[in-house]
Amino acid sequence: MSISTRSPSVPADDDLEPPKRRQAYSAREVALASALILPNLVLLIVFTYRPLLDNIRLSFFDWNISSPRATFIGLGNYVEWFAARSTGTIVLNTVVFTAVSVIGSMALGLALAMLLDQKLVGRGAVRSMVFAPYVISGAAIGVAFQFVFDPTFGLVQDLLGRVGVDTPNFYQRPGWALFMVTVTYIWKNVGYAFVIYLAALQGRRAELDEAAEIDGTGPVRTFLRVTLPQLRPTTFFLSVTVLLNSFQVFDIINVMTKGGPLGTGTTTMVYQVYQETFVNARAGYGATVATIMFIVVLIITLLQVRIQDRQD
Amino acid sequence: MSLSRRSFLTWAGATASVAALGGLSACAGTGGSAAGQEGDGTIKFWSNHPAKSKDVEQKIIDAWNAANPKTPVQLIDGGANYEELAQKFNAALTGGQLPDVIVASDVNWFNFALNGATAPLDDLWTKAGVKPDTYVDTLREDYKLNGKHFAMPYARSTNLMYLDNAIFEKAGLDPKVGPATWQQFAEWAPSIRKANGGKPVLAIPDGSNYLDWYFQGMIWTFGGHYSRDWTATFTDPKSIEAGKFLQDQVKQGNIAVSNDAVNQFATGGASALLESTGSLTGLTASAKTPFTTAYLPGPKPGAATGGAGLSVPAGISEDRKLNAVKFIDFLTNTQNTITFTQATGYMPVRKDAEADPAEKMYLEQHPNATTAIRQLNENTQPQDAARVFVQGGGKRIGAALDRITIGGEDVATVFAQLQDETQKIIDRDIKPKLSN
Repeated sequence: MSISTRSPSVPADDDLEPPKRRQAYSAREVALASALILPNLVLLIVFTYRPLLDNIRLSFFDWNISSPRATFIGLGNYVEWFAARSTGTIVLNTVVFTAVSVIGSMALGLALAMLLDQKLVGRGAVRSMVFAPYVISGAAIGVAFQFVFDPTFGLVQDLLGRVGVDTPNFYQRPGWALFMVTVTYIWKNVGYAFVIYLAALQGRRAELDEAAEIDGTGPVRTFLRVTLPQLRPTTFFLSVTVLLNSFQVFDIINVMTKGGPLGTGTTTMVYQVYQETFVNARAGYGATVATIMFIVVLIITLLQVRIQDRQD
Repeated sequence: MSLSRRSFLTWAGATASVAALGGLSACAGTGGSAAGQEGDGTIKFWSNHPAKSKDVEQKIIDAWNAANPKTPVQLIDGGANYEELAQKFNAALTGGQLPDVIVASDVNWFNFALNGATAPLDDLWTKAGVKPDTYVDTLREDYKLNGKHFAMPYARSTNLMYLDNAIFEKAGLDPKVGPATWQQFAEWAPSIRKANGGKPVLAIPDGSNYLDWYFQGMIWTFGGHYSRDWTATFTDPKSIEAGKFLQDQVKQGNIAVSNDAVNQFATGGASALLESTGSLTGLTASAKTPFTTAYLPGPKPGAATGGAGLSVPAGISEDRKLNAVKFIDFLTNTQNTITFTQATGYMPVRKDAEADPAEKMYLEQHPNATTAIRQLNENTQPQDAARVFVQGGGKRIGAALDRITIGGEDVATVFAQLQDETQKIIDRDIKPKLSN
């Protein structure tokens, strides 16, 4: 009979060692993983990263898009963009449009999600109605909202006229034009934020709400201290995706204002890419704006991740 | 390696950022040429169907297909407007399948020709038996660069002044006779406004809708120009005077610069309208009250020609080019130009169209359509290079005109900036290629 000299309450030395890493993947596992990853990786390289690198390369050229020849000009396009008179306006338009779109879409989406998370009659139909604009093409929405905002025949003009308020000319005042395209985009995009928030609300821990109710916590405090913290990962996810989508809005602006009035009234950076590449035929310069935009978006995304890390 | 939600989001965000740019740059392509591209035997005609002409285009194409079954034509939507069609063609130039015939607008054909994207047609005309002299000279010569022609006239227009008969009569004016000069327009304006409840006399499309084209005639009547040859002339005192006149008329409420001028006029929101001849058929159907078309005010020339021609890509095979030119010749022959112009309001592009008995009868019955044809001979001239030959020129000038009209900015300052920008582009992008 052997007696252990170790106290059963003391762990053995072996137990103190960290768990061993798995040694290696088998050849079969590696082959399987490669087979699963490779098709997507190839598509990503061909259709995303190759054009990206090509775009960066083109940004160093003076290239008329109708011409088969391009001339290397180094940083000439970058110098021109930073020195251009219109750059300040375009960057400001981009920042205002994006910030208001992100905040507006998310705030409205959350409010609607909170409302339609309640047991209300016909909420299924209303949920569908709220989400529907998201799947409609931006160009179609742009055409429809031209009639909403038309200063002579539009719905807004009609409604304001009934209460004796003059309608601003949404198409000829830069501030109002930017307001118009931003509101139109929020209307289209709110369904996306709504659906994501609704899913998150339905997956939250109900017992926390019940505990708050038992404690007699008011609805506002419950929302701020109990509900909202649970939605933080969703809010972060939305802030990234809505921001990226907002940065790329083109169709609504093209249909409603063509980047005007006064030339750059609603021109954002992505619209400038189109304008320079196709209207002014300066594909190299357009590629430069796209590259700058890419760097900005990448930095913002990484900052968002960093902030989220710290919060966690 | 474990994949946490955070790291997933990090990578998803970064990838999405990259994809965002990838999507933008996808249009950029590599700039390769596609010389001698063969087709499948079908002539592919990219059109934006100017003035809602899809049905009449298809009707003419059906006739071609019946007569030429071995080289049928396929009508392909090239976009909603001239700009979209040009974008699509540019995308095809970077490596896609080239069409055989494209609609090239007054502001696009030159850039295509200058950069070798479209073919010179003179030799093809000879091979195809096309008689260029049968085209209206001024319209044909609009497409000349370095002694060669790069397009054939198709949906050609000029601007007209549309006058509301009832309002003009109420103001004691004859609607059959528009103002002879812009100064006379200003003199008439108070009585016309009074006759129409104070509403603006004249609606003009804004800078996003070709104000730069409509203003061109006005600037000429003041002795100014957008440019002379390859020198921008926005800062010429006469050009500035024209700009100040326009600004003043807008301030006084005589002219309304509108995002939808046609609708404003059609619904009685203005007593007159500056618009293309291409809007004639549509307006005839939609206007609330009868109207008459008139020349733009002089002194002559007071109106610019415009619209679009048909070009052939340089990168397709010689056989395709030849068939394309034969089709264009058919599409714009005397009978078809009559059919097309009667359906749209554009001007006939063949000289003998006006002498055709059916056309004569049509013009007698539709005097509004006659105005454009008469004005072409009496009151027009080709456009200034700063608008049509400088890429993005129209949009650039339109934005500047918006600034002085809608924005009320100082004309001299805005035109000075426009002068600098335009001349810089001419010197950088055009002159070197012309000298080569």
